[in-house]
Amino acid sequence: MDKLNKFIEDMGDKISHKIDKKRRFYFNVKNEDLRDVVEVLWNEIGCRLSTATGMEMEHGLEILYHFSDDETGQYYCPRLVIEDKKNPACNSIVPIVKGAEWIEREIFDFWGINFIDHPRMERLLALNHPENLDKPLRMEDKK
Amino acid sequence: MSKVPVGPFHPLLEEAEYFELTVDGETVIDIDMEIGWMHRGHEYISEMSSFTQSIYLVERICGICSTSHPLACVHAIEDIDNIEIPDRARYIRSLVGELERIHSHLLWLGLAGHFIGYDTVWMWAWKYREPVLQMMELISGNRNHYGMMRVGGVARDVEPEKLPELHKHLDMIEEKMKMIAKIANDDPVLKKRLKGVGVLTQEDARNYCATGPTSRASGVRGDVRKDDPTDAYDLVDFKEIVLSNGDVYDKLVVRVLEIIESVKICRQCIDKLKIVKGSFWNKVEQVGEGEGCGRYEAPRGEVFHYIRSDGTNRPIRHKVRAPSYVNIPTYEASCKGISISDALITLASVDPCYCCTERSMKIKDVHNKEVPDLLTLSRNKTEKIRREIND
Repeated sequence: MDKLNKFIEDMGDKISHKIDKKRRFYFNVKNEDLRDVVEVLWNEIGCRLSTATGMEMEHGLEILYHFSDDETGQYYCPRLVIEDKKNPACNSIVPIVKGAEWIEREIFDFWGINFIDHPRMERLLALNHPENLDKPLRMEDKK
Repeated sequence: MSKVPVGPFHPLLEEAEYFELTVDGETVIDIDMEIGWMHRGHEYISEMSSFTQSIYLVERICGICSTSHPLACVHAIEDIDNIEIPDRARYIRSLVGELERIHSHLLWLGLAGHFIGYDTVWMWAWKYREPVLQMMELISGNRNHYGMMRVGGVARDVEPEKLPELHKHLDMIEEKMKMIAKIANDDPVLKKRLKGVGVLTQEDARNYCATGPTSRASGVRGDVRKDDPTDAYDLVDFKEIVLSNGDVYDKLVVRVLEIIESVKICRQCIDKLKIVKGSFWNKVEQVGEGEGCGRYEAPRGEVFHYIRSDGTNRPIRHKVRAPSYVNIPTYEASCKGISISDALITLASVDPCYCCTERSMKIKDVHNKEVPDLLTLSRNKTEKIRREIND
């Protein structure tokens, strides 16, 4: 069994809405399962975190992580949907992947998602913004 | 203890970053970094542009990586619909991409030489970079911002009568790179100056998700061209350069050896372009609904683009992650414990796409003595080693 199929089998109900394209595997994960899934991707499969993409959609805020398995060229993309746009929060993966520190700070910066257990939850790109921003840069705040 | 601020702005810079080194005597004990001094909103502008416009927009993110970003961008768009490109376009894309790698590494090599007081290396490296820019001009009509990439292929063909001249330039570059590799191997001053300096361990390289020559010099293998080959990279023969010490010396050697490998790739692409005829572009009328990840091994490491489409002619989300974004945080690991005179070359060793290394303010320490700038400290240390060895 290849790595991808073993991962799908091991994760069972923790992952849903699976889309398998050529060397790209997208799937949904719940906040409570996020760290378990990342733990497997990081420690067992040996993935590297390329980055994470924050998105503002009608149904909520999305975080799409991009984990690359450099041995096989396979991308694993867990997607976390946060429906609460007023107080968005999710678990930080920095305790597992140190390289996620800036990535999560940038998402906090733009979409205001609070990452629980992040060691330095403050703005990254807009830290020294001349207008001293007190809101994330979301569409609904522009209206 | 003193604080040494580096950056953020300098009149000559195209971008700005800020580093604050905390030093105890001559030893760096901590480093803090701030980015975002010049947020240009490329992702947001792209989401208001058509797919075609986005490609030309991302070309302007970086003057050095002006092929890497458009390549990763077209890969992401092509990934949405699994769009295939003609073989001739595959070779042209890889040829342009490798020429960019050669000129980027030569640019870094020259700057690194200058920072440690090897001004001859600086002048040579930039002299040998010039023919690469001429080759780019020959292929695309431009020395920078080549406008070569488009969804489904490339924007223009490489005319057959230009191919012999490209070979001539490549022969020269290969010869000179072998000479520089020999210098790096033989020069006792260079070795003493750079070996063991600014070490990024294998564990740290992985933890910080470092990429490109920064991680490969630390023994972490990973090269998009090998792992997730696109364009002609699965059709040509080349080696992935991986070393183990993680110091500045190994980062230099990785880049010099990569130039020699890039020359090999370019030669193979040029030879294939003599044989592989036909179209250089498959017309793509419409990008469908969906999402795509595109990546390319830029000179500094993996550049990543994510594009989501709702079936209209523009992306609803376009995420860009440049390699420096993940390489710069490694300073937390590589700078602590080093001498202040090694700080400049350690900061420069990841090729961080920041030109502000000269921007070290003159400050006074707690004893009210003026602290010289980082460049002077770095060059003085090389001179001291040189004198010791010569004596």
